[in-house]
Amino acid sequence: MGRQVAIASAGFSEHASKRSDVSMPELVSEAIEDCLKNAPSVELGDIDAFVNGNMPAFEGANIPELWMTDWMGARNKPLLRVTTGGTTGGSVAIAGYYNVTAGLPGVDTVLAVAFEQQSQGDTSVGLASVAYGEISILNTLGVSYDQLSRLLSAGAAIGVAAYQATTYMNKTKTHEEDLARVVVQNRRNAAKTWWAHLKMPNLTIEDVLDTPYVQYPLRYGMVCPASDGACAMLFTTEEKAKDMCDIPVYVNGVASVANETAVLGYDGSGSAQVDPSMQLGAIRSAELAYSQAGISFPRKEIDYAEVYAPFPNQELMWTEKLGLFEEATAPEMYKAGVTAVNGELPVNCSGGVNSTNAIGASAMERPAEAALQIMGKASNQVPKTVHTSIGSGWGGSLNLITLMAMSDQPQRKWR
Amino acid sequence: MSKMTQRKSLEYIKKDYKRTRTLPGSWYLASYKFKFNITHMKPFLEKLKEKKLIANQCSSCNRVFFPPRLVCGKCFVKPDKWVDIRDTASVSTYAISYLKDPETGEVQQRPMVLVHHDGADTTSIAELAPDVNVKDTYVGMPIKVHWRDERTGGIMDIEYYDKVDDDSDDLRYKK
Repeated sequence: MGRQVAIASAGFSEHASKRSDVSMPELVSEAIEDCLKNAPSVELGDIDAFVNGNMPAFEGANIPELWMTDWMGARNKPLLRVTTGGTTGGSVAIAGYYNVTAGLPGVDTVLAVAFEQQSQGDTSVGLASVAYGEISILNTLGVSYDQLSRLLSAGAAIGVAAYQATTYMNKTKTHEEDLARVVVQNRRNAAKTWWAHLKMPNLTIEDVLDTPYVQYPLRYGMVCPASDGACAMLFTTEEKAKDMCDIPVYVNGVASVANETAVLGYDGSGSAQVDPSMQLGAIRSAELAYSQAGISFPRKEIDYAEVYAPFPNQELMWTEKLGLFEEATAPEMYKAGVTAVNGELPVNCSGGVNSTNAIGASAMERPAEAALQIMGKASNQVPKTVHTSIGSGWGGSLNLITLMAMSDQPQRKWR
Repeated sequence: MSKMTQRKSLEYIKKDYKRTRTLPGSWYLASYKFKFNITHMKPFLEKLKEKKLIANQCSSCNRVFFPPRLVCGKCFVKPDKWVDIRDTASVSTYAISYLKDPETGEVQQRPMVLVHHDGADTTSIAELAPDVNVKDTYVGMPIKVHWRDERTGGIMDIEYYDKVDDDSDDLRYKK
């Protein structure tokens, strides 16, 4: 089987809605610099290969990795580009893991970097270019243009999340206050994280419920921002990681699972599931990653979780689907403070995607932050010792879930 | 910084300027040619003219797809059986979109629903009748197809879905 992989370091660039002080390559180099700063003994020459990724079409630049090789330090090195939409970051991290675990001669240390500078382009055009291929068939089948525009508004990411929210709230009998509580926790956590985007230390539930609806049941105050930012992670072998940092974080399980087509379906054929909050892909990815990592009781063994939740209902949903809480109990846990920084199972102490969403980088920031929490280097560090943590991603064509399970102990059971 | 060969930070370049320049540009996304297969929809669209609904069924896992699908995601086979399904359905889930009329500036509230037809195992995106109050929509609401007067054999022959009186016992729990 493959080699044991460890994360030696992780770094972020500063996130904001408009980073007009830097260009896209500079943004990437900022994250790489921060990543190398966390592992001072690593030189650029020590890095053997690079993985790079962002969401195509969002910045209006195709093949961005070719004009940023100098800024990444990837000259004359193997370079791989991975892009899978919303989960790009998660897939880039997993590609970094695969590069190391494969045991190729001369490839021991891999730098994975994911980025997004959304202020440079038009996100709605980018999303339309993703959905256009699926949606334009409806026109052929006789759907009029004005209805198509309505379907489009309901078919983008927010629409899908609104559908999930409605079924989730109906199933668990939760209210908007429960959603607002999640947002308040995230934005307050983000205020303590140096790289986060939406920092609101004094936000209250009433403030969130005061904002107008974007799409029922999601209000303006609950929706994730569009950020500029980048994230870098350094993957290496078990032996080398011990020299590079004090506490290496071992990657024990990865999964990237696709489900059947989401809401609109291909060729206008509808969704494959009746309940959009069922998320069989998430359950399957959790099964896969936990079985690799030897986690039998996720609720007991996982100390920290970063879940990919642009919308508050998804944070509740994923924590349940990834086995952290029993079905339909997540809102109670948030109410009881279990998920707070000093709680039993802290969730999204960086503020999560809900506070910072640089789309291509978001899914990588989750495992990166979860790794930093184990190292003890996170800016909003949880007071308890973190031994095992997970970082998840959601996206693709709204049905691809990535998951990375990390620990401070190498896992040898399955090898 | 333990080694002499440590890479220099790029900060010293960045401090020379504070802002990047912006060059406007645009992508024209309209010139692509997407290819679709609609042959699997043909029998379904033909039947719509006769106010009949049919769906296709996977003979391996017996799931019924409405609208018809080209391939069963579970079994990786082509659903080949055609079955009749009823015109009654229920709201699987919904979201309310707030759309501004470009001429009058009025904000319209329209519930966009995922419709789960009785006898089908999938859902499709649709609209409710204009006279249904937005606030009365709920998950599991029984609805019925409202046919267009002149049917041309397109998906829009189903104009929208009418509300059906709900007399089920569990309604009082849902509200």
